[in-house]
Amino acid sequence: MNFRRIKAVAFKEWRETVRDRIFLLLAFLLPVLWMLVFGYGLVLDVEHIPLVVVDRDHSALSRDYLYRFTESRYFDFKGSLTSETEADAWLLSGKARAVIVVPEKFGERLLAGQPAHVQTLIDGTFPLRTDITKGYVLAINSALSGELLADYVARTRGLSREQAKTLVQPIRLEVRYLYNEEVRSAWSIVPALIMFSLMLAPPLLTALGIVREKETGSIYNIYSSTVSKIEFLTGKLTPYVAISFVNALLLWLLATLWFQVPFKGSFGLFLLSSLIFVLTSTGIGLLVSLMVSTQVAALIITMVLCTLPTILFSGLIVPVSSLSPGAQVQAHLFPGMYYTNIVRGTFLKGVGMNVLWADMLALALYAALLRLVAYRLFTKRPRS
Amino acid sequence: MELAEPIVRVLGFVKRYKKHVAVQGVDLEIKRGEIYGLIGPDGAGKSSLMKAIAGVLTYDEGAVEVFGTLIDSERAAEQVKQQLGFLPQGLGLNLYPDLSVEENIDFFARLRLVPEPALIERKARFLAMTRLDKFRNRAMKKLSGGMKQKLGLICTLIHEPELAILDEPTTGVDPVSRRDFWTILAELLRERGMTALVSTAYMDEAARFHRLSFLSSGKVVASGTPAEVQALVPGLMVTFEATPQMEAIARLKTQYKQVEALGSLLHVFTEETIHASAMQSITSSLGDIRPVHLRVDEPELEDVFVALLLRQADQPPSAEMPRVTALAANHGLAIEAKGLIRDFGAFRAVDRVSFQVKSGEIFGLLGANGAGKTTVIKMLNGLMPPTGGEGWVAGADMKTAGGAIKERIGYMSQAFSLYLDLTVEENIRLFAGIYGLNRPATTTRLEWILSMAGLKGYESSLTSRLPMGVRQRLALGCALVHQPRVLFLDEPTSGVDPIGRRHFWDILSVLAREEGVAIMVTTHYMSEAEHCDKLALMFAGRIVSEGSPSEMKRQVETEAGRLVELTVDRPAPAINELELAGFAGVALFGTKLHLLSHDPEGDEPRIREICAASQGVVQSIKTRPLSLEDVFVYRVMELEKQERKQTTGVAA
Repeated sequence: MNFRRIKAVAFKEWRETVRDRIFLLLAFLLPVLWMLVFGYGLVLDVEHIPLVVVDRDHSALSRDYLYRFTESRYFDFKGSLTSETEADAWLLSGKARAVIVVPEKFGERLLAGQPAHVQTLIDGTFPLRTDITKGYVLAINSALSGELLADYVARTRGLSREQAKTLVQPIRLEVRYLYNEEVRSAWSIVPALIMFSLMLAPPLLTALGIVREKETGSIYNIYSSTVSKIEFLTGKLTPYVAISFVNALLLWLLATLWFQVPFKGSFGLFLLSSLIFVLTSTGIGLLVSLMVSTQVAALIITMVLCTLPTILFSGLIVPVSSLSPGAQVQAHLFPGMYYTNIVRGTFLKGVGMNVLWADMLALALYAALLRLVAYRLFTKRPRS
Repeated sequence: MELAEPIVRVLGFVKRYKKHVAVQGVDLEIKRGEIYGLIGPDGAGKSSLMKAIAGVLTYDEGAVEVFGTLIDSERAAEQVKQQLGFLPQGLGLNLYPDLSVEENIDFFARLRLVPEPALIERKARFLAMTRLDKFRNRAMKKLSGGMKQKLGLICTLIHEPELAILDEPTTGVDPVSRRDFWTILAELLRERGMTALVSTAYMDEAARFHRLSFLSSGKVVASGTPAEVQALVPGLMVTFEATPQMEAIARLKTQYKQVEALGSLLHVFTEETIHASAMQSITSSLGDIRPVHLRVDEPELEDVFVALLLRQADQPPSAEMPRVTALAANHGLAIEAKGLIRDFGAFRAVDRVSFQVKSGEIFGLLGANGAGKTTVIKMLNGLMPPTGGEGWVAGADMKTAGGAIKERIGYMSQAFSLYLDLTVEENIRLFAGIYGLNRPATTTRLEWILSMAGLKGYESSLTSRLPMGVRQRLALGCALVHQPRVLFLDEPTSGVDPIGRRHFWDILSVLAREEGVAIMVTTHYMSEAEHCDKLALMFAGRIVSEGSPSEMKRQVETEAGRLVELTVDRPAPAINELELAGFAGVALFGTKLHLLSHDPEGDEPRIREICAASQGVVQSIKTRPLSLEDVFVYRVMELEKQERKQTTGVAA
């Protein structure tokens, strides 16, 4: 190991990266861009469902009933219609995703102690959203039913409203959401997006940086010189690791300041594990670059290798624990999952090394293994 | 050089790429202190051999020994790398475009652990020697071709290796930069006692080497000193004029294998070694056509290589030109440029350029990189509007008739813009489609192109599998699909083997002579320029010299004198002394010196004296015909000198 040679390679690489405008843009803008795009795009909260209502009853009770839907933050009230056929048109054009139809004599029947039927039409094209919408409708409906029942009990038994409520609903559910107290999907997604960006950009940069030399032929300067394999790989990777580490910091700032995600854990732990993760992901790029000879091939292979497993198996969208057993095995084979555990852990749960050590160890092993394989694959005297 | 020991030994070298055998059984020995040349067309196996010697490529059979170490593993290769410098193929491709000249040098030096004080000293010396010192801080991507080449050389030699391995360092560079390069290389090698292994695709550079191997299809065809190689094929070169030219060629081809038309001249290689009988047999084989201006010369090395190749291989199918109704001798103008000007901002790239090309004429536009050749062609093609002046191509005004011009011209570029995944026939049909030929026209044209370009038998071969020479003829065929009256060729024969190149020029002269097509060529190959009827030399956007190749040579002869070749046992030290004594065009060619003299006989004693003063004994001294390269270099050097005088005059 000769430090001067490593420095020469690293400095040359750094200068080239900084002077190549497009490459520089790619290096620093891409991760931030991904976080912004996905941070807003991957929000899975179902809110503001466009809603229209058909009130055939026009009684005080029907107005009160519909009021609870139109004023909820889950629904966006788009208007009152006179017939179901009209509502059909709204659903077809997608201007409304849910319709509530209150039949005639709704108030009269309720006051008479008879059951009333309310028709709800929900757009089923997105099953996940449909289920959630149905859940909202059920919840609002049962809340009102419960109140009506309590009112009735209070009136007939001569009890207070509170007593009647206890009687009608003896078990009350108290839910406290832990870690992500407001159950905002941004809080869950944005930290994982740090993982996503750091899983994509560093391999891409590294692979392109090395294959570029192969493509132009400047790699022969390395082959034909006395620089050793370790010196070259160390010097070549250092700028990319540094850039990616800076990106980890930028993304952290973006998450905490822009997306306002609370960071509860140890910052030092976050930095350390980010460094290890960046070492892993640049290692993937290195490996790809040794197996292909054109930048286009490097680009495509890195994208395929990094994007799909990261989206599917890293816990970005679906938690690893709810994957099928086969998919869980795959998830454990990709480094994304471990770092997802670490970022979510440090951001939302504030857990420390005592919980995350296994994930960090896995990443460190991954980084070491990738480098070892790359070292074995890299030859200064190739076959062609 | 008496103590010379071999520092590289190659025995039975074989390199395969999957099933393709790139090199099959090459033997080679390089001695300390010499410049060893590997000559051959693209795909001859030069690069594979050089990379294996440099220890950056494995090989399959045989042995490569460098500085006494058998290079059979990565570890063994590492041991000798400190003593080696390797410049891979591709002009400036191994350099870093975004780094400055100085940063590039520094990187190579630090990679090689050159101590900082030595680096500073060498950098200053090398930059001064290559006249790059003014451009220290310029980004490498903004250098001209010649400058990139010199920077590449500095970077390869900055750690002062004992053996420099340079893969095609002169490809794509103009003759002046090329000559400059050879001088610098020779000086560096001499100063430091380095050895060099250099490859080239330019046959006319063979004389630059102390010893050489000529490679073709992975085999050594000939090797030894230039004189030894020359002796392998005894013979003479007979040059004369004969009309009608095409008929004369047809008659000569029945007797001689190497018959070339160079403008109005015919060039025939004969194995006769006596001048009188060589002339005699030529005259008799011509029958009733009388040769005039008969001249006999020693053959060039290129002629020798072609003769050697022809001995080995079957002769390629010669172009059987289907006789289309010969055009009535039409000497109308095909291209006319009148005071063409093109500015890029404040920079004038083309400055009042005027010339005329008649139908049936081959016109060559020469000039260094950046002299303005491409801009002129682009303007004539209607691809770029001129800032001033006018031009007509095939009767159409280039300013107003952009589309009409494109229908009347054919264009073939260096890169042979063919579709490699299509077959030969599919390529031709595609181009016919692009030019809107209907079905019957396409069929006749296809037939014509296949026989004209000697592509029969290749119809359904994939273009990517064709040898370079065949690919080049296909590109020509595609450019001719719409029967253009004017043909533009932009460096058409780079990387093609000498036989293929001659075949190509045979076709061009038939096209010009019999079909009356006007052909305009740009090229860096001076041996190619010899084929033109008329030449124009561009310098800094202007045409500075014009005429037929022989006229241009005569002009230089009257101005600067005849070319004298000296064989000196220690030629290098004499160069400076001869220049100081006022001789023009002094240049080193391997073991020989070239210079220009008005009175070779009268100057002989003086020359011997000067050489003797610098410890060189002149073994022989004789005059040689000027080559076009000599003309080009002389002209450009004179202009550069004037320019320098002017600028220093202004400064003073």
